[in-house]
Amino acid sequence: MSVLRLDGVTKSFGGFMAVDHVSLQIAQGEMRGLIGSNGAGKSTLLHLIYGQLNATSGTILFDGSDVTRMAAPERARRGMGLVFQITSVFPGLTVEENLLLGALPKETRTRLGVDLDEVERMLELVDLGDVRRRHAAHLSHGQQQWLEIGMVLLAHPKLLLLDEPTSGMTRAESHRTAALLRDLRDARATDAMIVVEHNIEFIRLVSDRVTVMHRGAVLADGGIDEVQASPAVQDAYLGRLH
Amino acid sequence: MSPADGAADDPATQGTSVEEAVRSSAGAVRRLGRGRPNRRLLIVELTLLALLIIIPLVTNDAFLVDRLGRFFLLAIFAMSVDLIWGYGGLFTFGHAVFFGGAAYVVGILTTRDWGFLPIPFWPALLAGVAFAALLALATSFFVFYGRGALRGVEFAVVTLAVAVIAERIANAGGQVTGGQNGILMNARLEIAGVAFHRGFAFYAFTASLLVVVYLGLKRFLRARPGLLIRGVRENEDRVGLLGYDAPRVKRRTFVLSAAIAGLAGGLFYVHDGIVSPSAVGVAASTLVLLWVVLGGRGTLAGPIVGAVLLSYLTAVLSGRLLDTWLVVVGITLVVVILLMPAGIFGFLEQDER
Repeated sequence: MSVLRLDGVTKSFGGFMAVDHVSLQIAQGEMRGLIGSNGAGKSTLLHLIYGQLNATSGTILFDGSDVTRMAAPERARRGMGLVFQITSVFPGLTVEENLLLGALPKETRTRLGVDLDEVERMLELVDLGDVRRRHAAHLSHGQQQWLEIGMVLLAHPKLLLLDEPTSGMTRAESHRTAALLRDLRDARATDAMIVVEHNIEFIRLVSDRVTVMHRGAVLADGGIDEVQASPAVQDAYLGRLH
Repeated sequence: MSPADGAADDPATQGTSVEEAVRSSAGAVRRLGRGRPNRRLLIVELTLLALLIIIPLVTNDAFLVDRLGRFFLLAIFAMSVDLIWGYGGLFTFGHAVFFGGAAYVVGILTTRDWGFLPIPFWPALLAGVAFAALLALATSFFVFYGRGALRGVEFAVVTLAVAVIAERIANAGGQVTGGQNGILMNARLEIAGVAFHRGFAFYAFTASLLVVVYLGLKRFLRARPGLLIRGVRENEDRVGLLGYDAPRVKRRTFVLSAAIAGLAGGLFYVHDGIVSPSAVGVAASTLVLLWVVLGGRGTLAGPIVGAVLLSYLTAVLSGRLLDTWLVVVGITLVVVILLMPAGIFGFLEQDER
């Protein structure tokens, strides 16, 4: 069963079709890259998936249920985890407290606890053990991004959405981020991931399969080499990078 | 770590080592959150506690002690504002509505001769606290929910408006609120014939209440709700996108804060002997913000010291410098805030670098 399935998802602002009848499926265990030039609609599509925006038409099935009209926090409770392009952590809280906010049960009435061992393992995985008591505001940009990934993963999302995770990162930081995401996949920290990026090099490091968007619609879909070889894609997007 | 510290409550983990145990949420927050002993805070707390005990022992000035007892109720009010503003990031310009509003309820219930009224003081105080909490709950549904949920300045403006309206209502309430004259309180603080309405007994009562409210709030803030409300202050959208119900977090904190303000207010004005429209107004709501800023936002202990110091300074100076005391208080505030922008106790919130 697919983790996420979009059917004819469309978003229009006035007459402008930001996302135009997009259909796609993300399978269990998949790391999907979502690429496209600026204005191709990939960020809008991401907003539609996690619920910041509501689709004009079409349906979004997540983990078997229709979430098309649900608010973002409700989708989050059902297992969507979002890592923003501009890091979104809790600046005035310590690294530990940030991770704990990811790990705590989301429902008040539950008697569930927190697996502190898991928090410790995540602290090591995102390599923030040395700065665990520092306020997040005092971390480097890369560290904040890793903290956000760790925090979101501690909520055990079924689907992890990453919006341009390497923007503003140095090349070395990008490579570490890619390695981290691969580790997380291997550790089965989440069922599936969607990475929105325009850094092709990074996408190549982390995804099995890419979806290319152009003018709000899906232009191509497949393995990265296959997609990169497609004339339409080269014409519309990749060609311009070189 | 001691084995008793946050025991494993999941049967599946029985038999594993303590380190591997799944902890209760509260236990986890205590351990990983601010749970580790904070030496600076401990020193501050012990010093304040020592002062609380020593002052009445070294003086026999019943008037001074009585006055300090009043300031402790103001300190509780300041803590209630610190909870919602310092920890929750919700800047409120109208918290006196809860402080004074509860006092009005107490006044009406204990002095009016209508129907089943008057009722004794303690049930009336309970009703006052409930009134404050319900008022906050009702307000919550208008300001924290839906697409039009208010944040930041918008919230501040609404609370300001509420304070202005409350003062008008108190002024125009005729026989119910006593209009401009307010209500003369006739209740006395006593339980089973033991009075603590004045002097040393009053001091002992309010000092104990101060300690109880402080410890209760500290406990609240160090558990799950405290971490969540600080999360809302730092990044409300993120709290929602992690799957929490952020409006509910704010609603609960606001209601708790209002109830505490109501408790302090009901006691304060009964001791004062009168409650008048300014009790629920903008001036009273602003004054408490100064105490919090002076002591240090988000430190809990800071606002206590801010409230007591500034109230004491005001009391002493207004007696000696009839015309200029307000100027002196103002200059003192400006100087302290310039030198210590995070407040007197701002150092409690610095992290380890």
